[in-house]
Amino acid sequence: MQRTTHFRTGAILFLLPALLLFAAFFLYPVGYVVVVSLLNWDGMSSPGFAGLRNYSALFHDEVFRISIRNNLIWAFAEALIQVPLAIVVALLLARKPKGWKLLRTIYFFPHVISGIAITMLWGAIYNNERGLLNGFLRLIGLSEWEHNWLGGLGSAFPSVLVYGLLYIGYFMVIILADISSVSQSYYEAASIDGATRTQQDWHITLPLIRGTIATCVTLAMVNGLRQFEQVLLLTNGGPANSTSVLVLYLYKELQNFHYGTANALGTVLIVLGGLVILTVRRLFNAAKYDM
Amino acid sequence: MKINALLEKLLSRAILSLFLVYTLFPMLWLVMASLKTNVELLGDPFRFPAPPQFGNYVNAFKSAHLALLFSNSVIISFSATALNALVASMAAYVLSRYKFRFGPVIFSTLITGILVPVSALMVPYFTLIRTLGLYDTKLALILTYTAISLPLSVFIIKGFMDSIPAELEEAALLDGCDFYQKFFRVIVPISRTGIVTAATFQFLSSWNEFLYAMLLTSSEQVRTLQMGIRFFASQFTTDFTSMFAAIVISIIPSVAMYSLFQNQIISGLTQGSVKG
Repeated sequence: MQRTTHFRTGAILFLLPALLLFAAFFLYPVGYVVVVSLLNWDGMSSPGFAGLRNYSALFHDEVFRISIRNNLIWAFAEALIQVPLAIVVALLLARKPKGWKLLRTIYFFPHVISGIAITMLWGAIYNNERGLLNGFLRLIGLSEWEHNWLGGLGSAFPSVLVYGLLYIGYFMVIILADISSVSQSYYEAASIDGATRTQQDWHITLPLIRGTIATCVTLAMVNGLRQFEQVLLLTNGGPANSTSVLVLYLYKELQNFHYGTANALGTVLIVLGGLVILTVRRLFNAAKYDM
Repeated sequence: MKINALLEKLLSRAILSLFLVYTLFPMLWLVMASLKTNVELLGDPFRFPAPPQFGNYVNAFKSAHLALLFSNSVIISFSATALNALVASMAAYVLSRYKFRFGPVIFSTLITGILVPVSALMVPYFTLIRTLGLYDTKLALILTYTAISLPLSVFIIKGFMDSIPAELEEAALLDGCDFYQKFFRVIVPISRTGIVTAATFQFLSSWNEFLYAMLLTSSEQVRTLQMGIRFFASQFTTDFTSMFAAIVISIIPSVAMYSLFQNQIISGLTQGSVKG
């Protein structure tokens, strides 16, 4: 009897720190974001109730519209370019060509290094005068293609967006792991029936790893919604707000003490994230979903 | 038939090499640039530095106070990692081994945290940290980092603990272990793989974190390395080569950690633990 009480105290003590931190950093903040998004507040003076005015102001705001468009482009670019590339590379590595383990390691490399370091590196590559890209164009005699990549209205957003899409290591590792768990007997049977490796990938592997692909698509799209560092460091949203994204806009509104709109932006982000998760889940109808 | 197979092989090689070059080349260029003089940098971008300017690294260390930033990052990342591992494994233990009424509800609520975009929570984090009187302290970042990845860590570690057979615990009970002894002497050592996987992810994300380091601190005394190289870039825009050296220095710990725990990271991803 004494032992049970003793164990109950232990269990409560063990759960408490996690629950406290979760309440302080997840439950309370999410509630706070939603409630304050309905207020007209600068964080100091007494707040007034604004109803949905913060939201209607956002939808009439050009920077918000650019930001949400850029974020959606980003989310879909990751889902439709990055994930398929990761699948192709994973399928190729699954055939275990020479050095595949080393390649797997190297492809993962950019995900270990901080986004800041990678982004600053690309800032140097895009740099107008001393950048690698313009230097390369000069070298191969295409100096008329030289361009102020991050300063041009048309080229800034594509430049900020595109380089990260080709870092496919993270999704590749997840997909490759799932491929290697597919039973070899399927492939043996297919080989006997005369199916080529590509046909096997198409008709056996891809359907069997559908759940993992759904997971990657979700992660990729949520990632596209969360983008921030690349934009902050390369262009700070410019030129003329053409590269702005939601998190950057939120950060700027916070700095201006527009707590109402900042939290309306936060709510939009949370809702968009939820929508992505539900939609992808439904689209793939993934029976084998982990959570 | 044979030609097809050959073509397929060539195509596959070409794709794999393309990604290899794309991943490696910019980094090699970074290291090369960090060893050049500023004049050399303006010239042919592909020429090797002659002779290599190791002085850039000395400059970076001196003018960016890299030693201070580095030790700040080490203190913050290691504390957050240790605290996260402890809190997460304690909670995971109770949720995995004890059946009680609200257990499943608590667990599923906790892990929905994996899907919350925490950058949306900037305003409440900012006010919370200020209310606690922690603004511009290392503790602010330690607490925030510990909490942000708690859901993921609990998820990973509970997964490992679920696979521990009940007999082991019963044996420990018979040997007279109490609740705490059972946890620290039996469960933690067995779940080592899971805990290390979670901790590795935690370390990398704390070391590389930027948004909250920028939002919750302001003075140089608590600045992290990631923030430092950003400031360095904006303050010393003429000294590009030292900036490259600073970036190389900031990358080294992550790369070291990755090399050390490479198999851990890959198997962590493999076991589906991050597939949330």
